[in-house]
Amino acid sequence: MNPTEHNLRASTRRHFFSQCGMGIGSIALASLLADKTLGEDPMNAIENPLRPRVAHFPPKVKNVIFLFMAGGPSQLETFDYKPKLNELSGQPIPESFTKGKRFAFMGSSHRTDLLGFRPKFAQHGKNGIWVSDYLPHTAGIVDELSIVKTCSTDLFNHAPAKLFMNTGTGQFGRPSLGAWATYGLGSECDNLPGFVVLQSGPRGPRGGAMHWSSGVLPTTYQGVPLRNQGDPILNLSTPDSIPQTKQRQLVDTLRELNLKRLVATGDQEIGTRINAYEMAYKMQSSAPELMNTADETSDTFDMYGIKDPNESSYARNCLLARRLVERGVRFVQLYHTNWDHHGGATENLETHLPKICEEIDKSTAGLIADLKQRGLLDETLVIWGGEFGRTPMGEVRESTGRNHHIDAFTMWFAGGGIKRGYVYGETDEFGFAPIDKPCHVRDIHATILHQLGLDHERLSVRFQGLDVRLTGVEEAHVLKDLLV
Amino acid sequence: MLRFFAISFVLLSVLHGTSLSFAETLATENLSFDRDIRPILSENCFACHGFDASAREADLRLDTSVGAIDEGGAIIVGDPDASLLVERILSEDDDELMPPPHSGRTLTSVQKEKLTRWIAEGAHYETHWAFVPPVKTTPTDVDNTTSPIDGFIHARLREKDLTPSLVAAPATLLRRVSLDLTGLPPSLTEIEVFEQAAEKDLDAAYEALVERLLASPHYGERWGRWWLDQARYADSNGYSVDSPREIWLYRDWVVNALNADMPFDQFTIEQLAGDLLPNAADSQKIATGFHRNTQINQEGGIDPEQFRIDSVFDRVATTGTVWLGLTVGCAQCHDHKFDPLTQKDFYRMFAFLNNQDEPNLKVYPDDVDPQTLSTEKKQLEKSLEEICDQQLEAITAWENSLGDEPKKSLSKDVLKALGVKPAKRKLAEKLTLTLASGVLAEDSQVKIMQTRISEIDRELARANSTMVMSERSQPRQTFVYIKGDFTRPDEQVSPGTPSVLPPLRATSEQPNRLDLARWIVADENPLTSRVIANRVWQQYFGRGLVETDSDFGLQGTSPTHPQLLDWLAVSLREANWSLKSLHRQIVMSNTYRQSSVVRADLAEADPLNILLGRQNRLRLDAEIVRDVALVASGLFSPKLGGPPVYPPIPDGVMSLGQVRRGWNVSKGDDRYRRGLYTFVYRVTPPPALNVFDAPDGLSSCTSRIRSNTPLQALTLLNDSAFYEMAQALEKRIATEGLEAAFQLCTSRQPTPEEIALLEQLDTLGAARALLNLDETINRE
Repeated sequence: MNPTEHNLRASTRRHFFSQCGMGIGSIALASLLADKTLGEDPMNAIENPLRPRVAHFPPKVKNVIFLFMAGGPSQLETFDYKPKLNELSGQPIPESFTKGKRFAFMGSSHRTDLLGFRPKFAQHGKNGIWVSDYLPHTAGIVDELSIVKTCSTDLFNHAPAKLFMNTGTGQFGRPSLGAWATYGLGSECDNLPGFVVLQSGPRGPRGGAMHWSSGVLPTTYQGVPLRNQGDPILNLSTPDSIPQTKQRQLVDTLRELNLKRLVATGDQEIGTRINAYEMAYKMQSSAPELMNTADETSDTFDMYGIKDPNESSYARNCLLARRLVERGVRFVQLYHTNWDHHGGATENLETHLPKICEEIDKSTAGLIADLKQRGLLDETLVIWGGEFGRTPMGEVRESTGRNHHIDAFTMWFAGGGIKRGYVYGETDEFGFAPIDKPCHVRDIHATILHQLGLDHERLSVRFQGLDVRLTGVEEAHVLKDLLV
Repeated sequence: MLRFFAISFVLLSVLHGTSLSFAETLATENLSFDRDIRPILSENCFACHGFDASAREADLRLDTSVGAIDEGGAIIVGDPDASLLVERILSEDDDELMPPPHSGRTLTSVQKEKLTRWIAEGAHYETHWAFVPPVKTTPTDVDNTTSPIDGFIHARLREKDLTPSLVAAPATLLRRVSLDLTGLPPSLTEIEVFEQAAEKDLDAAYEALVERLLASPHYGERWGRWWLDQARYADSNGYSVDSPREIWLYRDWVVNALNADMPFDQFTIEQLAGDLLPNAADSQKIATGFHRNTQINQEGGIDPEQFRIDSVFDRVATTGTVWLGLTVGCAQCHDHKFDPLTQKDFYRMFAFLNNQDEPNLKVYPDDVDPQTLSTEKKQLEKSLEEICDQQLEAITAWENSLGDEPKKSLSKDVLKALGVKPAKRKLAEKLTLTLASGVLAEDSQVKIMQTRISEIDRELARANSTMVMSERSQPRQTFVYIKGDFTRPDEQVSPGTPSVLPPLRATSEQPNRLDLARWIVADENPLTSRVIANRVWQQYFGRGLVETDSDFGLQGTSPTHPQLLDWLAVSLREANWSLKSLHRQIVMSNTYRQSSVVRADLAEADPLNILLGRQNRLRLDAEIVRDVALVASGLFSPKLGGPPVYPPIPDGVMSLGQVRRGWNVSKGDDRYRRGLYTFVYRVTPPPALNVFDAPDGLSSCTSRIRSNTPLQALTLLNDSAFYEMAQALEKRIATEGLEAAFQLCTSRQPTPEEIALLEQLDTLGAARALLNLDETINRE
């Protein structure tokens, strides 16, 4: 990001303290010390790394909710309707499709015969968009969605591909989408982290914390997982039932002691720490308040398909996502596992895929509808999808499933500035590859940043001689056709 | 530049390129290509007019004199008005203007002026400073200082009419140097002893202190962690499955080598190629764990060759970053955009690191001699075999006598042995039957011999395993991979080093890792000694003399004190690569010993403290945040080395990855070991370390971020491990008093106001406050 812009506000304040043009907070502080005008609060000179910042251009949305379907959902059983697959099921896919391609599990369960699909597809909404009967509620809100059928990625193993979807590279140590968003824009919320991660399903996403890493950015910008058991944020509760009044007293005393040190040393970092303790203290009450859904109505619970509001589930996480953006949290990412339907014992297409579709369908549709009725959909970008899709060919394990597929898979987008009831791009007769309007992960990244008012070419950070950007060095395009 | 204070990184960006640009001196002094011009060209022009031929536009390169003047004709020496370069950068036509508006880059008027003046002055190109061998010069002894370090620092301050700061208070100095050299704060006794000695003669007391700390075994732990960051050390395989691995013997090797002050050239050679040294000792093989610290992908459905190659990519990039300070990894897919490194150079380096098998090495404790034990075991087994064979007839007779009924009373082992055909029976089976048949006398030697074999097995099982490198007899072929894609091999290459650096002196036709390692630390290599000296300096001041500590290339920042950097680099080499001697030189300087308090005049003239008119106040490393609290609370276990340990962590952390990993909290002393010894899973790192920016072990970390976040506050306030330490400190307050506890945390006497504030809290509250003080987790 353009550093000058990044610090627009800071420089305004700087100007107030100093006219030398090189002034920064420490000068302000030093002059305060030198002038012995300590009647002024030295904290005035302190920067908050999460303060809201001015975007590159007027943003379309304030917040993002990324519903990450971990494992790679099948596009062919959900949105990409390919009758030809059923016609030719069991026959080999023409070699022209697969020549020179590499797949996961090539030495073992990978196969080249086409595999038909079981669900029934029907056209829904004003524009007759095809959705399978595995997702009836999603079909019901299809007029709110832009469905992108031509997504492609570079990597076909789970952890690297997830990393690619989150950070734009399969290498480790790069900032994730949410980290970039909070780095670029700061946070509107002073009592919750700017980037929050929620998880549901039988296991955590492969690769864990690297998916919400701040990479080469300071850890201020890393995603904070809100947990469903114990403290929602690690170490949130005061130990040993120490009463809140004592914790407050402790934080107040610390403030006084740290302030004395700030004055004695002139080190602004102490000011940042004082602010950090204040936010930590606020989080101790605001995070439980966020997690406590007792103030929601039973209609709302029904809307999301929440059976027991206290039980951890994808449905509850969808509701929490709404509560988070309501409170100004910039970037919310939900992970739901496991969409890896190879045909293994616990991952077949016959029972497990419809089951997981059911797990997410009503809640996802409920989230969109709830955001809309509260006027939040216009200022939120909602993204649904996984790290890759599945092959049109079958894979044989305990039963027949589908292998990882990176050439074409489906994601959808909804919210501020996104076309409604729209299908972006088209794939070939088997759903193997795009034939119109391809969309690479980099394009998705450029588009997400664009909706936040950030230019993917300008949002960068210097690291080891490189200007590191989310979209890397290869070309990336904002999906203009997706936008209103 | 980010890897500085969380807050300062923002400020640095603002000031980058504008502060301390020597603007005042420019009016009178000739411009230097290296200092003044190259940064402008590199930032704004080289991406399209630089080293990378495939990205070059208009067939023009501006990174060489030949390219810009002779062939490109963009510069007419001495005549800016006739130079196309000047015309284009000053153009008001957007189609003509350079850099083009769509590139997002613009030249400031000062930059344009500099380029114009440089052409007028003759457009002299220079070799990039880092590729020129360092030369030791003596500083003009501006104010009668004893350390050349101070000479160089004071000279620059004096140019700006600035003065250095006074020496820090003895308590500050004691805490600073203790934390910097050993990562541990001083004890109450150490504080008292030092303050008394300092009252008599501060310099002598300080010098003795430095020697004591350098000799402490904790020195190796503190600086070992510095190196382990660069080695991307952790205790698991990473990626998604993230199984635990055993490689802590490598960690202990690093700590021991530093404690023994192993010369850095040897330190380098053993880690890169210890296995190739003649009669390599176990310790030299253990050292090759350096490049085994890459991740291993155990996910289903992968192509193992892809991930093997990924780990070699990482090894090439890490070697470049750690020793050469070059972003070699940038040339994996294409020629380097800025530095004279071709894609082929990358794969020539790759070829050195492509010829290894990656086995585990069994290492026995000193008191176990595996060879003698194995020989003894073999002999015992041979004797047993003979005894059994002698009884063969008797046993056969016994076997034949067995009816169905008696068989029921026999043990499972015996039945199993009977089930094997006599000719196919192994020793264990023969023994079982021999003993069961009762053909031997009660006091038979057999049992004694069996007991001895079990003993030997137990001894041999005391071996630890560690991951090492081992050279293949048949080297793999190495190719240039198009766009770094291993499925697209292109030209075949042989091992070699970048042509911009001094040539490799190979000992055979097929140079190997040992040649590479020796080349890296060869006297004529201009980079290694500078890179290492700079990185050590960086630990002491929070910022290197070259701020981009892992990029000494054209995109890196120029040294703020080039002569000082060279002096440190050459001194390091001249002292037989003794790191302790480098540490001693730095901490003995007045520059190091200054107060870190912000001064208004310095803040005005040098807000980032680049000229070092004072020390910097630095947040402690993650592990040391823990160590300080452990020492203050009195729970600290000083035990050195051994397998990693499992201090308490919050519930549920280990279930965040794909595979839930166990975490059996260590008992006894191991619960209170230094942060260095905490088991680190790459995917689910210990939260208290992670939150204070401990590196993740995914790639080499040469300089840590120092962030400052609410999650850190929650950790110190509420984490069960820190709470346990607060409870222990509470007890110390009860017995030793609040002032003593304050000193345990900060090494200084509290003011009456501070004591009054703390006394408003109950004892536990005061203990928690002390462990949470910003001062406690900083060194001033």
